Amino acid sequence: MKEKIDQLFENEAQLPKISSVVSKVMEMAGKPDVVIADLAKEISKDPGLTAAVIKLSNSAYFRPAKPVKTVQESLMTLGIKTVQEIILLNETKGILKKELKGYQVDGESNWIHSLIVAELAKRIAVQKKLKVDKDVVFTAGLLHNIGKVILADFFPTILMQFRTELQTYQGPYTDLEAKFFGYTHQEAGAKLLAKWNFPEELIEVARYYTEPEKATQFPELVSTIHIANCIVILGGMGIDIGGLKIPLSSKALQNVGVTEGDLQMYYTLLPEMAKHIEELISV
Amino acid sequence: MLNKDVKTINVGIADIQGGQSPSMIRTTLGSCIGVVFYSPEKKVGAMAHIMLAKDPSGKDSAKNPHKYADTALPELVKRMTELGCSKGEYYARLFGGASMFKGMNSSFLQNIGDLNVSVAKEFLDKEKITLLVEDVGGHEGRTISLYLDDGRILLKKGGFEKYLYKVR
Repeated sequence: MKEKIDQLFENEAQLPKISSVVSKVMEMAGKPDVVIADLAKEISKDPGLTAAVIKLSNSAYFRPAKPVKTVQESLMTLGIKTVQEIILLNETKGILKKELKGYQVDGESNWIHSLIVAELAKRIAVQKKLKVDKDVVFTAGLLHNIGKVILADFFPTILMQFRTELQTYQGPYTDLEAKFFGYTHQEAGAKLLAKWNFPEELIEVARYYTEPEKATQFPELVSTIHIANCIVILGGMGIDIGGLKIPLSSKALQNVGVTEGDLQMYYTLLPEMAKHIEELISV
Repeated sequence: MLNKDVKTINVGIADIQGGQSPSMIRTTLGSCIGVVFYSPEKKVGAMAHIMLAKDPSGKDSAKNPHKYADTALPELVKRMTELGCSKGEYYARLFGGASMFKGMNSSFLQNIGDLNVSVAKEFLDKEKITLLVEDVGGHEGRTISLYLDDGRILLKKGGFEKYLYKVR
C-alpha cells in the first residue's frame, strides 16, 4: 500500500492541485514588500477567483465596512492576509468538501469541520493573545487534516480488516493508518502541503496536530489547532471512523495556556460559531 | 429501503428538528446526546442534539435553550405536541454522551457525556416517557439517522453500522 501512495506522490497529475494563480498569490502575499496593485492584478487573471473574492469579501462573515466592488477594494478594506484567507478558502473548498468514504465522513461535514476548526483556532489565538499570525491560524485550521483526502481513496481494499482491528485496538487511531497504509493522514497531509510549496507552519500543523508534543518549530500554533480540533470533534462535527480516539494533550493546553474554564467556554461557543460560518459554507 | 424521495433533515449542534414520514432525521454526536422521540402510530418524530446537562453560567440558556438538557427537553416535548402527538403516544431513545478525555484532569470535560445522559434519563422518568433503547458512553462518536416511515434508527459507530428497530 505504501508503494501505491508513494507512486501517487511521484505522479503529481493525480494529486489534488491548486491553481498557478493561487500559488503565485500566496508567494507574493508572503513577501513584506508586496504591492497591493500587483496583487490585485495577479488575482484578476482568474475571473472565477475574482468573483469569489468579491462575493466572499461582502459576506456577513468578513463584514466589510463598506461594500466591496473590486479585488483592489477588497485588499484595501479587508487587508492582504484576509484576502489570502478568502482565496485559500475558495481554492480548497473543492478538495475539502470531498466525501471521505473510508473515514465515514460526508463532504459537507468535513467542510464544516475544517471551517469551524479554523474559526475556533483563531478565537483561541486571539483570546490567549498568542504571538502567532491570526491569519496563519485560520489557514492552518482549514488545512489541518487535508491528508485524509489522500488516504480516503485507499480505504476500500482494506476497510473490512481495518474495521475489525479498530474494534479491539487500544492505541492511537493513526497508528492503524500507518500500519495499513504505510502513512498516517498527517504524514500524507504534510507531504501534500510541501508539494504545494506551502509555508513551514502549515506543514508542521498538518504533520503534528494529533501529537502536538512532537512539534519543534511552531509548538504554539500546532497546539492551538490540536485543541480546536479536539473540541470540534467532541461537539460531533467531523467525527470519523476513529470516533473520539485522539486524546487531548495536556502539553498542548500548557503550551497555549488554556484552562479548564477556557475549554468549557470554547465547547459552549460551538453553536454560535457554526452559525457564524454558515455563510462561508453556502458560498 | 433506499428511497430517493426520502428527505434528510439535519440536526445541528444544539438544535431540535422534527418531521414526518417518509423523511429521515440525522445527527452526529460526540459527548453531546441525541434524544429521539417517535410515535409509531402517527409516524412522526423529533430529535434533540444537546450539548450540556445544565447552563454553567445560568445566563445562556434563556438565549440558547436547545444547548442544555434541562431547557431543551421540554422544547422537544413541545415539538412533538406541535406534530400532533400527546404524551403516551411516543417513546424515547437515547444516544451519544461519549468521553474523549479519559485520564485527563478536567472534571468538566470528563463528565459532560455522563451528566448529559443522567439528566436526560431523570427527565424521561419524571415525564413518564418510556426509554426503549440507549447506546451511550464509551469513547466513540456516533451518527444516528431516524427513518420516520417505520421509526428504525441507523446507528454508525467506530466503523460499524446497525439498524435498531425497537420503536414501542
